[in-house]
Amino acid sequence: MTTAAQEFLRKAAEKSADLAHRGIVRWNIDQYDAGVGRGKTRFADWEAARQRCHDIKWEAVNHLDRYLLQFEQKVKENGGHVFWAENGEEARHYICDVAARTGVKKVVKSKSMVSEEIHLAQAMEKMGIEVVETDLGEFIVQLRNEPPYHIVTPAMHLNRQQVSKLFKEKLGAEETQDPPELVAIARRWLRKSFFSAEMGISGANFIIADAGMVTITTNEGNGRLCTSVPRIQVALTGIEKVIPRLQDLATLWPTLATAGTGQPITCYNTLIGGPRRAGEVDGPEEFHVVLVDNGRSELLADLEQREVLHCIRCGACINACPVFRNIGGHAYGVTYPGPIGSVLTPHLRGLPEYQHLSYASSLCGACTDVCPVHIELHHHLLHNRRNAIHAGTHSSAERLGMKMFRWTMMSAGRFRFMGSLGRTALRVIHGMRLEGTALDPMRPWTKDRAAPAMPRESFRDLWRKQNGVR
Amino acid sequence: MASADNPSRERILGRIRAAVQTTAPHHDGPSGQIFAPVTDPLDRFQKECVANITECMVTADAAASAAAIANVLASLPPGEIFAQDAPELRALVSGFTDGRPLRWSSEGPPNEASQATITLCEALVAQTGSILVSAANGGRQATVIAPVHIVFARLSQLVPDLEAAFARVYEQGIASRNSYVCLITGSSRTADIEKILIMGAHGPRRLIVVLQKTG
Ligand code: SF4
Repeated sequence: MTTAAQEFLRKAAEKSADLAHRGIVRWNIDQYDAGVGRGKTRFADWEAARQRCHDIKWEAVNHLDRYLLQFEQKVKENGGHVFWAENGEEARHYICDVAARTGVKKVVKSKSMVSEEIHLAQAMEKMGIEVVETDLGEFIVQLRNEPPYHIVTPAMHLNRQQVSKLFKEKLGAEETQDPPELVAIARRWLRKSFFSAEMGISGANFIIADAGMVTITTNEGNGRLCTSVPRIQVALTGIEKVIPRLQDLATLWPTLATAGTGQPITCYNTLIGGPRRAGEVDGPEEFHVVLVDNGRSELLADLEQREVLHCIRCGACINACPVFRNIGGHAYGVTYPGPIGSVLTPHLRGLPEYQHLSYASSLCGACTDVCPVHIELHHHLLHNRRNAIHAGTHSSAERLGMKMFRWTMMSAGRFRFMGSLGRTALRVIHGMRLEGTALDPMRPWTKDRAAPAMPRESFRDLWRKQNGVR
Repeated sequence: MASADNPSRERILGRIRAAVQTTAPHHDGPSGQIFAPVTDPLDRFQKECVANITECMVTADAAASAAAIANVLASLPPGEIFAQDAPELRALVSGFTDGRPLRWSSEGPPNEASQATITLCEALVAQTGSILVSAANGGRQATVIAPVHIVFARLSQLVPDLEAAFARVYEQGIASRNSYVCLITGSSRTADIEKILIMGAHGPRRLIVVLQKTG
């Protein structure tokens, strides 16, 4: 087993036993569920909205070259720059070069999961640049030196007491149990950063081909300040974020908001198409869009899994996932937790090391049911499992086990024989009170759970007896 | 950027082109109406404003609008006011600033400590109770920086839904004329701590629309 997998199992066991942690996550998701329930009532037909979103993303993803080129041309016409990055390293390089050339010492960032994916902040900090996360949740986890816990709600795992303690420790603020006061503390602190930073970095929820604009969605207004005040602006995003037309947003904005938080629409939906123009009051001098591939074009080439690129990163599948609800976001040890992360990560970081995530699912399909763009998430988890087997990444013990299983299942006699052997062995082990010990082959199950008593007879025996068959 | 500086561009595009030679299967589903049509835009706009915490004041004429704005300003602590430099706002605003310093967008972006900003907008959207602004409305910072943002709009700017708003964006070239467009719905907020809704994160705590019926 790989280290990432071992680490995952260790953390998952630890987190699922942490009842306080589960309580906080449950509280958050209950609030979310109630909000989404209310939000959906504002749609005349939620299923039609999902279908429209699917149609839009399908059109864009299946003609990705055309729409990206249209977008690029428009941005250039409006005085912006577009850089295509093969991987995280190229993207980091480009952004760090822009920062060095323009004398940037401080960066304000609004939420960008791609920046987490490519570890941008760490690279800039190495250059001596101060990077400040400005989304409140991101700011909190940054102060804790933690990655975001959730792609929409980065500090979901913390309560006000923990935030207050953190602000006292790191910012020298007075302790308070009052959430509005905590927000005010962050606002005052971050204001200074917005006005002293030379560069603003944002992600993009969508990039719009016909308008040559990127759109970012925030409730707090931090994304607006990041894209308005600093003199250099960078929008960092994945190539799959493109959509054909501006009016597609008439469906995508409300659907993303409702699936993401239950809101009818997010507070601020901002469109940015370039640097400040002649005659405009303010805005950055330079505008750069960095389009990151990082494995996405390979996913595009996989017809079976191409639709994973439709993801609009709403987080609904994460909230719906019973595994996430019990182990939380950090146990996954990757940028994108939950079902979408388990599907996507093997493509971004390599299947052999991250195939274990495909098994972090009960295959209940709750993720597929809630996905606003109709991605068949649990089928893709199965595809990943199959692909990993075909790639031969499973252990020789597992291979041997499956061979024996096959051999057993191919004949009724062998099946009967193995069944009675297994029953006897387990009855002996349990009779000797070895249940859950290292000698128990069922230990992964029995170490935390009581096993039911093993019957002497098989179903087949019982059936024959009751029906008088000999 | 010349493509010579960005060799990855061709590589990525090459892979994309090769991949999309084959089209992925498309899932079909219901294609009905997504939102119920908005029948009474003004009524809907006002209701949505109540729900998303926007203060909407419907006024009869220019005098009433000037009075409404004066009223809001009178309730604010002392300090500078910023306004989009537009003839309508010049006409409305001069005379009621109570000796407060007033900065016009033609003098540059707002000061960070502005008490309020006053701007026009591109459109109002009834479906969501939203305000569409652009860089032309006093710049990017004008609609986000102060604790109070006052928007002056006319009834003719109210459109029923987002589809109609985008139709107007195309018709009037709003997205091509401006480097920045923003759809604002309610005041700045966050729910990042325990999912508790708190107003006034980084943007305005109060968003006020003065909606004039005539003129
Ligand atoms: S896979 Fe679907 S539900 Fe999950 S984050 Fe992406 S769009 Fe949302």
